[in-house]
Amino acid sequence: MEVNRTQKPQPRGKISFTLPKIEKMNLENGLEILFVQKKNLPIIQFTFVSDAGSRLDPNEKKGISNLLAALIDEGAGGLDSLRLNDEIESLGSSISIFSDPDNFFISMLTLTENIDRSLDLLSKIIIRPNLDETDFLREKRKILTRIQQLKDDPSYIASIIFEKLVYGENNPYGLPDTGTTTTVGRINLNDVKLFYETLLTSDNTTLIVVGNYEREPLLEKLNQYLKDWHRYTPPVFDMPATIQKGSTIYFINKENASQTELRIGHVSSGRNAEDFFAKSVMNNILGGQFSSRININLREDKGYTYGANSSFSYNRTGGYFGVGTAVKSENTGSSVVEIIKELKGIQDYITTKELRFAKSSIIRKYPSLFETYGQIGRSLANKVIHSLSDDYYNRYIDNIKAVTLDDVYAAARNNIFPEKLIILAVGERDLLLGQLESLAIGKVIELNIDGHLES
Amino acid sequence: MSDILSIEYEKYLLDNGLEVILYPERSLPLISVNLWYRVGSANETEGKTGFAHLFEHMMFQGSKHVPKQMHFKYIQEAGGQLNGSTSLDRTNYYQSLPSNYLELALWLESDRMGFLIPALNQEKLDNQIDVVKNERRQRYDNAPYGLAWEKIFSNLYPKAHPYHWPTIGWMEDISNINLSDVKNFFHTYYIPNNATLVIGGDINKNRAKDLVERYFGNIARGNEFQQVKAEAPELKENLMLLHEDNVSLSRIYLVWHSSEAYKEGDAEMDILSYILAGSKNSRLYKKLVFESELAQDITAFEHSSRLSGDFIIIATAKPGISLDKLKKEIIDEINLIFENGLKEEELMKAKNNIRASFIYSMQNINSLTNRINEYNFYLNEPDSFSFDLKRYQQVDLERLYKKSLEYLSKPFLELRITPLKKSEGI
Repeated sequence: MEVNRTQKPQPRGKISFTLPKIEKMNLENGLEILFVQKKNLPIIQFTFVSDAGSRLDPNEKKGISNLLAALIDEGAGGLDSLRLNDEIESLGSSISIFSDPDNFFISMLTLTENIDRSLDLLSKIIIRPNLDETDFLREKRKILTRIQQLKDDPSYIASIIFEKLVYGENNPYGLPDTGTTTTVGRINLNDVKLFYETLLTSDNTTLIVVGNYEREPLLEKLNQYLKDWHRYTPPVFDMPATIQKGSTIYFINKENASQTELRIGHVSSGRNAEDFFAKSVMNNILGGQFSSRININLREDKGYTYGANSSFSYNRTGGYFGVGTAVKSENTGSSVVEIIKELKGIQDYITTKELRFAKSSIIRKYPSLFETYGQIGRSLANKVIHSLSDDYYNRYIDNIKAVTLDDVYAAARNNIFPEKLIILAVGERDLLLGQLESLAIGKVIELNIDGHLES
Repeated sequence: MSDILSIEYEKYLLDNGLEVILYPERSLPLISVNLWYRVGSANETEGKTGFAHLFEHMMFQGSKHVPKQMHFKYIQEAGGQLNGSTSLDRTNYYQSLPSNYLELALWLESDRMGFLIPALNQEKLDNQIDVVKNERRQRYDNAPYGLAWEKIFSNLYPKAHPYHWPTIGWMEDISNINLSDVKNFFHTYYIPNNATLVIGGDINKNRAKDLVERYFGNIARGNEFQQVKAEAPELKENLMLLHEDNVSLSRIYLVWHSSEAYKEGDAEMDILSYILAGSKNSRLYKKLVFESELAQDITAFEHSSRLSGDFIIIATAKPGISLDKLKKEIIDEINLIFENGLKEEELMKAKNNIRASFIYSMQNINSLTNRINEYNFYLNEPDSFSFDLKRYQQVDLERLYKKSLEYLSKPFLELRITPLKKSEGI
């Protein structure tokens, strides 16, 4: 059986793929539920997504949402922290609670055989958390130490200071969701309680359920355990950020660093912009995956880095475009030059072959994004967070298919600004400064590790 | 429960010695192709470390019929995902794709198994040496506490032991790798009779068999080689290592030799790690993080491989807390186990959690095919999900106690990573 290896094998026929069916339900207290039935394993996953991220913290007390995430399962419904945890553990259920700039997530993965006890405990956490002073102080101390510890990591520093520079310090997205030593220091238990009472409410939350269960009995159980959850609709927030007038280079000294962490980019349009699909295709060509231009250039041609990528990050309101990489210190200047070259290049030439590749990659990958319980849950969460239409996932492939070469050029020209970049380098001063200055992009501004001007 | 944990598979050999395992699982139109080569950093020698891992990189640089950069591109164009990884014992390559692209994956995997060398050149090697050195900088040298592992293993295992060096290799060795070494490495280890191919997901078995034969059948069998052997290492006395790093909190690592992967004692130490630090109510977490707040975090785990295993406890001290104090508290807690034993309730909770996480872990076809390869490698039986879970369910208090005592009463290695002492006035 000889085989012709010189020809790339063609796919065999077409696959048929049915998207999981999303069912909508409501409880009387306003809680909206999105349910996908998935039957292959005896498990069920609950995820509560509340519009209660750190952007709703007052900036001078940034970190409340994050502190609440640490505190809310430290005892509830008459059980103290250890006891509550012990009950969850005995079931083999795993619980995960965290907040990001936009959202507050409470999520539990459990075996279906334990659904009742799991829901009982979960509802205690959500409706009747103890929010006790002793636990609050302990969790606050832990977070303060964590903030100190995070600063050891050059990659983390680069990412949070970059966001601060992109959004501006006074923007609710400008500070890290953990807060800073100063802002967390100001938070007291009442701040956390107020945040909980006004934002973790039934009508400010969507519950996502993916699991091996029937709709009606599920609804009955959810009603039973969640009916007492309080209601409150918080006010709407909006916070524009602006693109700067020209490019600026910032630099943070990290002694003994053996690489430079680079972040380059600017503010960008939000998730609901009309050219979203064209932007996705464009970024897939530019830096969205391994075979994209930026990674091939910096890694596979030049060997400057282990990896480089670009992405559009979307918040509930607004978003930003960023290129991220860690490069050998000696290659910092050349890496910035190459990245800017790519940002200009994507506006000047895109081949139909690249367009075909990007669309093929996005479209064919689509079914694999609905494989696990967690992946389906995340897709539903995205629908909630970005208010996507009910037929969004059904129309996704058609929307990608419809993107033309002109659309991609337009997306590049309207969304990438190579002359208005924030360029941030975190690394060893002696190795970097000369390289950055010789780029002739402008004055190099040194910041300290907290992103403030170095005096 | 038992039918979830039992898989139907077919395992057979090609004439050239390639082992093939087919696992049809048709719930989604996806396939996963997972190839293990029985070679890892343990097959390297002093002065030539980092080889197996750098070689993994070279496998993505194209082969005779696949131009440079096209391996990734072809898979991504088909909507697939791919990667590889290198450990002490083995190197794996895996890709998941829509199921109508099975032939593409087999073409690519077979081309680099049979025809890598004609496409290899100095330029590609130089480029990937730079990339790997940057990987080393990013993941080890420039990462907080990133050098802990190589400090531990190069001291815990004597120079002659194949686990002495880090998988990524020493920086100097990576720079010195030359083209003829790479070619020799390929001819020795990247042969069909040293590999197992698992194909799982939405497949038709007859068609898959036919394709495997067509693409892999005429790759020449290689010479048998002697798999690395080593005596189980032993520490004669406690070892203390000190290292300063660019970090703000001090951290302590305590490491004991334990059991080889899947051998007696391995499951017991997994369970013990859960009882010590696996949850808020676990002994060390509760005492040091929750109650006394001496530690910012604490973890414990069993890290086991083919030739040996280690039991590791890691704790980060809160600011102002000395590592002496932290160590004393940890050792006291271990002594308490020696004196009073463990409780049935603790054991039950550990077992419940292990059982649940077993089921949670069966959601993804890529991780399933990799597990099948892992079971086949260590146990010579791909369908070992039930066996694996039973290893844990059968542990009783007496065995748990016996193994804990056996390993943890022996000498241990201690690594302390502390903040760099800054020079005054800067």
